[in-house]
Amino acid sequence: MSTNDPINFRQDRRQWLKSSATVLGASLLPLPVVPTETQQAETKSAPPHASEAANKSAGRFFTTAQHALVEELSETIIPADSHSGGAKAAKVADYIDQVLRESFDETQKSLWREGLHLIDVMSQHYHGKTFVNAAPEDRIALLTVLSDHESMIDLPEVRFFLQLKHMTVTGYYTSKIGIHDELQYKGNRVLQEYVGCDDPGPATS
Amino acid sequence: MPEAEVNLNKTYDAVIVGSGAAGGMAAHVLTTHGLQVLLLEAGKKLPIEQELRSMEWPYDNAHRGFLPPSSHSLTFNEYTIRNPPYSAGLEKSKHLYSYIGSSDYVKNIVVDERENPFTGTNYAWVRARCLGGKTNIWGRLALRLSDYDFKAKDRDGYGENWPISYSDIAPYYDKVDLYLGITGVPENLPYLPDSIFQRPTKLNCAELILKQGLHKMGRVLTQYRAGVTSEGLKHNKYRSRCYGRGACERKGGCDIHAAFDSPTGLIYPAMDTGNLTLRTNAVVREITVDQQTGKASGVHFVDSQTMKDYNVRAKVVIVAASTLESARLLLLSKSRLYPNGLANSSGHVGHNFCEHIMGPGVTGRAKDLVGKPPTLDDGRPGGFYLTRFRNLTEKHPKFIRGYGFEGGSGSTLFPRGTDTHGFGAAFKEEVRKNQGAFIGMGAFGEVLARYENYVELDPVVKDKWGIPSLRFHYKFGDNEHRMAEDMKETAQEMFEAAGFEIVHVASRVLTEGWSIHELGTARMGNDPKTSVLNQFEQSHDVKNLFVVDGSAFVNASCQNPTWTIMALCWRSCDYLADELKKGNL
Repeated sequence: MSTNDPINFRQDRRQWLKSSATVLGASLLPLPVVPTETQQAETKSAPPHASEAANKSAGRFFTTAQHALVEELSETIIPADSHSGGAKAAKVADYIDQVLRESFDETQKSLWREGLHLIDVMSQHYHGKTFVNAAPEDRIALLTVLSDHESMIDLPEVRFFLQLKHMTVTGYYTSKIGIHDELQYKGNRVLQEYVGCDDPGPATS
Repeated sequence: MPEAEVNLNKTYDAVIVGSGAAGGMAAHVLTTHGLQVLLLEAGKKLPIEQELRSMEWPYDNAHRGFLPPSSHSLTFNEYTIRNPPYSAGLEKSKHLYSYIGSSDYVKNIVVDERENPFTGTNYAWVRARCLGGKTNIWGRLALRLSDYDFKAKDRDGYGENWPISYSDIAPYYDKVDLYLGITGVPENLPYLPDSIFQRPTKLNCAELILKQGLHKMGRVLTQYRAGVTSEGLKHNKYRSRCYGRGACERKGGCDIHAAFDSPTGLIYPAMDTGNLTLRTNAVVREITVDQQTGKASGVHFVDSQTMKDYNVRAKVVIVAASTLESARLLLLSKSRLYPNGLANSSGHVGHNFCEHIMGPGVTGRAKDLVGKPPTLDDGRPGGFYLTRFRNLTEKHPKFIRGYGFEGGSGSTLFPRGTDTHGFGAAFKEEVRKNQGAFIGMGAFGEVLARYENYVELDPVVKDKWGIPSLRFHYKFGDNEHRMAEDMKETAQEMFEAAGFEIVHVASRVLTEGWSIHELGTARMGNDPKTSVLNQFEQSHDVKNLFVVDGSAFVNASCQNPTWTIMALCWRSCDYLADELKKGNL
């Protein structure tokens, strides 16, 4: 895929969606984890804390393959660099899994399942490999297509990208790595005097 | 602090309904005068430090500090497109909170909207039922009003003047400053009088750049005047001085109580006098009246947990339940003598409802600060306040009254700027380098007090305790919308003058109620035909009934109301104690 040429995203999209039905076998389509009827009923009647515990014990939202894909996607959004670790080290995929596992929002859950599937369909089309197996620059190129078309929110893959970015950002900047290593947040300790502007000395801890 | 049992056989000197800024202040002043006081709070006494957990890191919280998924807080769109109680589409949420209840630290402080429904026009009504009410989570901006506000009618002919002047209330502002602590910088402005300030915190660099830019335009930016003790209070053992620890910008309160809250600032010291009885979970449904004398005889409340009913007697009844709840209680207290509700011979209870309009504002970036090492900027009581500049010396052609801006700059626990386009290494670096360079501000403007903006009792809908709900008839008017347009333009113009790169200009007006500054539903005045209370917040109709919260305001001004509520309340309670001793009540 050449990122220099302007892409007609909608035309391109028709092609890769069409080809995906034959290129991708059903085995590549991960089966969504849907709670059983009884589990849903229990969740409804139980008190809040009990229902949270029940959801946790019900297992992960992502399959192992999906989890690996989310790890690579989130790391592409916020990668490790010389300054600090990235989304993978900050366990952002675990955070997203927890949010989705506990969510009551079926639309959001479906979007994630469909979005992860579409990412691999796109990756197969453009690079002949799944996203996880694609080279780092190919991963970036793929997400750039979505990022550059972020106003096309009628498309599920674009909505998925926006969700992925939002939840990666939230998970990363609320993690230990995000707060302490990356941003080097100075708060949550005693400050004798606010430094302010005309006194650029260091904060006491 | 153990709560004493309410003695149902005793006649208290005074019963106070509500334990927020107003109720707490009434308890403080009256117990100091030696009165035997009963303080009733509709909500629980929360283990507040366990709720606020100001020092908890997001990664140590089960949901990174956000609400658990079983709960939902309302968004702007939900307020706009749905009517209370907002059920459609939100059925799955076990708890539904107002917009402010969006963090794990506030969820038990604000009420569940479904237990406390209301009807009518859209309104972001934020209510906190717990000991201390909204003071547990207030924004801390503590401003005085001036005769530009008290005598606003003299300046532009609109509305009514207050029955007091600045000179009447100034000594009480001083008392509030000294008793509760306030930090800020004197500016000697006639329209925004100075308080007796404790040690101020400095502005940070971007704020200083803005201040200098504004100075050339003749406009004033000053340190956030925060109801926070920066030096400590020797007379109060429940509160610590501010030690700038941080995460203060996170929605929620101050669990070292450097920021004023009613329980540690007012109620616990009042209990130490031995003159105060506190009863929580007491939902007052009616002020009872002696049909012989026409005077208030006490209140009728239901225990929020057991649903049992109680009657308590008092020589004086003080309503401090918050502007809208106080109006509701007066309207609920109908009797043969008072068919329109208590203290309502004027028909003005629930009317003249006003507040502050907000939404317009600006976000900018100070280019010189990009890439600078991170600093601790949210470990201080607040950022800055940009004082009113409209309709002071010149008359604006499009609207009357004024507005001010609250704002701040610098590093925060969760970085600003994550809505930057793109992703990857460049995005990450952009967020890191810019985190301390953003500066933002939002306006708070006066909403005119209008008789036709009002609340009344809903004929059908009731709350969890079977008490009739409020029905809203309230909308911003043309003056507010023209003012909002000006707010947006001046915000951008001032940031440009300061040399900031404009990142975002907000023009959207937020839902009515968003400022949480509702006022005016039982206004003071000299004429009993057009006002509910006299200058001492005493009912014109019922001499032993006082309404001491924001409902007494005659107009909203553009300054945040809490400090004025407390100063007025102190003045009224001094008068009350004196009148009671003289046998005039």
